[in-house]
Amino acid sequence: MSTQNQHKIIGKSECRVDAWGKVTGRAKFAEDYNVGHQLWGKVLRAKHPHAKILKIDTSKAEKVAGVEAVLTAKDIPGSKVFGIVVSNQAILAEDKVRYLGDGVALIAAKTEEIADEALSLIEVEYEPLLVVTDPEEAMNPETIKIHGDDNTFVHHKVRKGDVDKGFAEANFILEKKFKTQFVEHSYIEPEAVLAEPAEQGGVRVTGSVQNLFSTRRSTAAALNLPLNKVQIIQATLGGSFGGKDEAMTSMCIRAALLCLKTCKPVKMVNTREESMLESYKRHPYTLYYKWGVKNDGTITAMEIRIIADGGAYASMSPFVTWRSVVQATGPYYCDNVKTDIYAVYTNNNYTGAMRGFGSPQVNFAIESMMDILAEKVGKDPLEIRLQNGFERGAITATGQNLEHNVSLKEVLQKATAEINFQEKWKKYRSEPNTQKKRGIGLACSYRGVSLGAEGTDAVGTIISVQTDGSVIVSSGITDMGQGAQTQMSQIAAEVLGISMDRIQFLNTNTSRVPDSGPTVASRGTIMGGSAAKKAAEIVQATLLTTASEMTGLDVQSLELKDNYLIDIESGQRLASFNELAAECFKKGRPTYGFGWHKSPKTSWDEDHGQGEAYFTWVYGANIAEVEVDTETGKVDVLNFVSCHDVGKAINRGAVLGQIYGGVAMGLGYGLLEEFEIENGIPKQLNFDEYSLPTSMDVPKIKAIVVENEDALGPFGAKSIGEPANELAAPAIINAIYNATGKRIYELPANLERVLLGHKLVRPKERGSVLKEKDIQAAMHRAVYELLPDGTFYAEIPGLQGVYANAKSLEECREQLQEVLEKEVA
Amino acid sequence: MKPFEYISTKSINEATQVLSEYKQDARVLAGGTDVLIELRRPHAKIPKAILDISYIESLNGISESDGLIILKPLSTHTQILKSDLVRKYAQLLGIAASQIGAPQIRNRGTVGGNVMNAATCADTVPPLIALDAEITLRSNGGSRTMKLVDFFIKPYKTKAESDDVLIEITFPKLPSNAQSAFIKLGRRNALSISRLSVAAILMQDKKGLISEARIVPGAALPTWMRVKEAEEMLIGEKPSLKLFTAAGQKVSEVMISYTGRRWSTEYKEPVIGVLVRRALEGCVKD
Ligand SMILES: Cc1cc2nc3c(=O)[nH]c(=O)nc-3n(C[C@H](O)[C@H](O)[C@H](O)COP(=O)(O)OP(=O)(O)OC[C@H]3O[C@@H](n4cnc5c(N)ncnc54)[C@H](O)[C@@H]3O)c2cc1C
Repeated sequence: MSTQNQHKIIGKSECRVDAWGKVTGRAKFAEDYNVGHQLWGKVLRAKHPHAKILKIDTSKAEKVAGVEAVLTAKDIPGSKVFGIVVSNQAILAEDKVRYLGDGVALIAAKTEEIADEALSLIEVEYEPLLVVTDPEEAMNPETIKIHGDDNTFVHHKVRKGDVDKGFAEANFILEKKFKTQFVEHSYIEPEAVLAEPAEQGGVRVTGSVQNLFSTRRSTAAALNLPLNKVQIIQATLGGSFGGKDEAMTSMCIRAALLCLKTCKPVKMVNTREESMLESYKRHPYTLYYKWGVKNDGTITAMEIRIIADGGAYASMSPFVTWRSVVQATGPYYCDNVKTDIYAVYTNNNYTGAMRGFGSPQVNFAIESMMDILAEKVGKDPLEIRLQNGFERGAITATGQNLEHNVSLKEVLQKATAEINFQEKWKKYRSEPNTQKKRGIGLACSYRGVSLGAEGTDAVGTIISVQTDGSVIVSSGITDMGQGAQTQMSQIAAEVLGISMDRIQFLNTNTSRVPDSGPTVASRGTIMGGSAAKKAAEIVQATLLTTASEMTGLDVQSLELKDNYLIDIESGQRLASFNELAAECFKKGRPTYGFGWHKSPKTSWDEDHGQGEAYFTWVYGANIAEVEVDTETGKVDVLNFVSCHDVGKAINRGAVLGQIYGGVAMGLGYGLLEEFEIENGIPKQLNFDEYSLPTSMDVPKIKAIVVENEDALGPFGAKSIGEPANELAAPAIINAIYNATGKRIYELPANLERVLLGHKLVRPKERGSVLKEKDIQAAMHRAVYELLPDGTFYAEIPGLQGVYANAKSLEECREQLQEVLEKEVA
Repeated sequence: MKPFEYISTKSINEATQVLSEYKQDARVLAGGTDVLIELRRPHAKIPKAILDISYIESLNGISESDGLIILKPLSTHTQILKSDLVRKYAQLLGIAASQIGAPQIRNRGTVGGNVMNAATCADTVPPLIALDAEITLRSNGGSRTMKLVDFFIKPYKTKAESDDVLIEITFPKLPSNAQSAFIKLGRRNALSISRLSVAAILMQDKKGLISEARIVPGAALPTWMRVKEAEEMLIGEKPSLKLFTAAGQKVSEVMISYTGRRWSTEYKEPVIGVLVRRALEGCVKD
């Protein structure tokens, strides 16, 4: 059924409702909020990645003129920890610190400078503990525990059929290990809030918050306040990619604590360095994939074991890894599946929600495996996927019957046809070895829409038509640059038959809209949009009933279109929308609609890992064409095709934007980005060293939007935000293989990995004992210097070539010693 | 950030006067693309005064005189990459300038700041050393001129005193039989710090034999220098892939002799050779 032509607003690239505010600078981001007598809040963070806190002495800091409050964990009136699934994240560390980003004390002072000075006067006595940074080591029963008595805090599984039987039926076994990295969200605005004492008690916090309701719950619990005394207001929020969740919750709570203590407004803003140090990252995964395969390319068994580095706190790990376990086999038929995924605590940055939410990691492994399989059985990447890929009616690894339009093969065929995939793939693989080699790679995926059996999934949206015919919309779904407000507005405008310029969207305020859960999982359009549609339909019904009374015509013969009330038969305009709104008011009719949408039922049996995990799914295919410099390892992406079935594009421009941005982000994941943590110490704390792709690195992207409308989405819409981001990296990795014949098993495929096949790591072994003395003697003579760029430089006078330059003094010393040992050897 | 005094001047004399008063407590500001970032670092040393020299007109511009190119320190990377003189007589410098940062950085960042800052990854320095550049420093006590190659002590450390202003960079025009190249390897295609770079100049005689060769690697050695051992291999030879590959290997050996084997050597060892070879190949294109 195509209703395309009937739509006035749906499907059009309408101007975003927040565009003018943003391009003219009127939009107020969190840092823009200031009040006259505000104090500055600052956090003292941990000195060690893992240590007992023996003593905190704040007396000197308290005496600094201009300091109005110094708080530690003992000053928190209510819950000292928070967490959506496992409540164990310290607002301020009490007994011990678990990673370098942990807060230990808070200061509120008249200026930022005074706060900084006071911070340096707080004395904390620590007893350092062993630092655990390798998740597999963390699982070892002997290893020191970070929380409670087990470092493994999640184990999800999926069981289907019998893998032993499956492996017995196989002609051969493919067994590979993959690894992914920590990734920073890289939102442009670092965390910022303004907390103000509320008139009737309690607190009002305005900030760059993504998930307002969980933040409110945690803030209220920490402050011992009822939910109605804690108001969280969303400031205009730019793309945050899932990153403004717990990182903001902790800042909101801290600012609120200082605010209630001082009875003054408190502003907190992280520097980029503080933000990168404290905030959570994308989970690094270690993935062990073992497939039983027949000579014809059929997969008889998949045994998958995945370890996710959860870092210091549980955060979203239980949910992130749940999506991974559900999707770990990819959209491929296989009767025998055994998947286990674990999340473990380490002293690294904690890991949580990030665009993709557990899919980019598994997609990298699955789609690499698929190409390895193709190579083994002599097929091309498209053939092998078409052979094994799901169709309508497929039963997934979790036993779900896919009853909707399963468009996997459609997206694969459209993407590959666009760029002549098969022809190029054959040509590139047989080209002789040269300095620059081209390659092309394919990846596809399926993805469950919205939260799924992960949790309650319901959203409220409010539409209020004013007496002059202008409209105010608000929702529990937040806009963080993805355009949720625009999508909901378009849906409302379509139903009400009005133009977009009549709509004013309000930023979310927890006291004015109902708790709608988090804005995550690409659920903004499908859930918020469905609620907007229901709300608009309620108002529409009132308007048409009133119109019928006004005109004496039957409701069925009337419609709202182009800002007018229309007689369908004659097409005649009977009244303007404004007149109709005024008439409702006169008659005492409410032109206010509250739409509540609850997702269709899903199910999950945790013991057997079976269930209807998600109420519907989306399908996508990506193709990357690359050029590899075989002598330096530099990879350039030359062309990209990204094809996604979005159900229905509510706003075509927004869908394209999501696809382009998603590919760019996936490219960073595949080639450049890595947040390195060594012994619990992050190595990159700003964008001079954390390499994001620039516009010069992102190629021309051909986006193909497939629209198989889904009965469960508003106007057929499903989602695109995360799908757009989750399969660029494997497409690129497969393209590198096509070019070089060498496979990358660890992300990102940076210069060193592509050229040498591995990352450069500082060696652990130390020089022989014999020379130990000479080395120690020489090390004694070493001269250290702090360079203007904040790094340390060391040299040993008289020893040419023995110098080192590193980010920390400790690292610099180590490097120097290492160079010296090599020299001596 | 702690407050500091901001002093702006339009004359060199006044600038040196201010510096002689403040000494270590003043910091010269040109484009500010290094200074401002330093000032904002946590625990940065904030000077008492910032001396803005960017309004001193006589310190800006690119000209020629007596076979020399005179590059004034306030010339921005954008000015350099657009300069006809540079394109004609110092092509490799223009290439290097065009690959610095991004347009905004190139519009503000100056060659003087790049040289004086003396970061290992400073991209205009290898070409300038290959061009045999000299620099002139001025202080209240007078002027000094020295070879740029002798100016650097180690990363971020030069022979400049705290009251010195760099007032001029000069180098001989490359003759018409010279060709030059600059190759930069970074992790991405813009806003990229040099992982390694190579500046190279070759001159050939009428028979096509190499009569002069200059090779300066960047971000590879403790300080910059011409790799004479590799240059000598080329003199009197006919350009060939084999020759250039051998020269690349030589540079790689020399690099290791200076730096020792470090954990990054596994990558830099083969790649510096490749970049040298490619730079030399870039010098024999028609
Ligand atoms: C995002 C970004 C990207 C960058 N990319 C690159 C790159 O790709 N390659 C590269 O080489 N550099 C790069 N840089 C570094 C910087 O832009 C360059 O080094 C630039 O040339 C510095 O010039 P400036 O005029 O801005 O120096 P300033 O910051 O004004 O000064 C730098 C130093 O030189 C001193 N100084 C400046 N002029 C004089 C003078 N005439 N006499 C005495 N002292 C002086 C200053 O006191 C200071 O110590 C980048 C910087 C940024 C922020």
